[in-house]
Amino acid sequence: MIMEQGQQNPGILDKGRTSNGAKGMTVIVKTVASWVKVLIFLFGINIVLFGHLTPGGGFAGGVILASSYVLLMLAFGREFAEENLPLPLASKLDCLGAFMFALIAILGVVFGGSFFLNFLFQKYLPGQALHLVSAGIIPLCNIAIGLKVGASLFLVVLVLSVSCKGTDCRFE
Amino acid sequence: MLYALCFLLFMIGLYCAVVKKNMVKIVIGLAIMEYAVNLFLIMLGYRAGGAAPIIDRTYLEAGTDKVTASFINAAVDPLPQALVLTSIVISLGSLALIIAMCIRIYGKYGTFDITEIRRLKG
Repeated sequence: MIMEQGQQNPGILDKGRTSNGAKGMTVIVKTVASWVKVLIFLFGINIVLFGHLTPGGGFAGGVILASSYVLLMLAFGREFAEENLPLPLASKLDCLGAFMFALIAILGVVFGGSFFLNFLFQKYLPGQALHLVSAGIIPLCNIAIGLKVGASLFLVVLVLSVSCKGTDCRFE
Repeated sequence: MLYALCFLLFMIGLYCAVVKKNMVKIVIGLAIMEYAVNLFLIMLGYRAGGAAPIIDRTYLEAGTDKVTASFINAAVDPLPQALVLTSIVISLGSLALIIAMCIRIYGKYGTFDITEIRRLKG
């Protein structure tokens, strides 16, 4: 990765330009990506929601949710992905996920008496075993963690795709 | 024997992180060390000939007392697997931070060689 002196340092995701200079990849990649990204997002939601029954949970599901947005970024260019989920909104979703997790833990003190008590399973909503509505607060914690991990990893990949030369960095 | 191979993988990663001069190779060494530690943690919970630690309907229909006896004696330990899943995602986050620092150092100094990055420039 040795660059000449006068050449601008390209960003990581700037390589996807077609021959006439348009941003993004070719027509085939764009068409297929626009179908597949919805399926990847739905698969991520499935892994998050059924985290107490099948392997997975919040962390793995959040990574899959972020990867659907990374596919969008690779196929269509960085500005399209940034218009789809802007930076302040992703940052707010990130904080909302962490706050929801802390709120669920504090509600254990309010309703039960100890921190992180599974108050839904013991008192209010036991549910049936091996069904979606069971295991108390664990699905809610999975949703909060999936939201946080997904938003965080999307922000990481978006911010890493900035081209820097010298001391000035700009989003292009 | 398998734990010794895991330790050997950790030593390979440590060699890369200590001896190499290219910054990207140092980052790869750190990643290899993290893989070795996660592999070691999963191997601790293994049982020879064990089943996957997932309870489904056939277990529950036999009765709850039989579930604990047959499940605990036949399945591998699920707790290291859950903790290692968390650890993999956390190592992904820290790797992103290290890569971002490498990119910024390259943008400022123009080289990946750590022997040429000595002075703190303004």
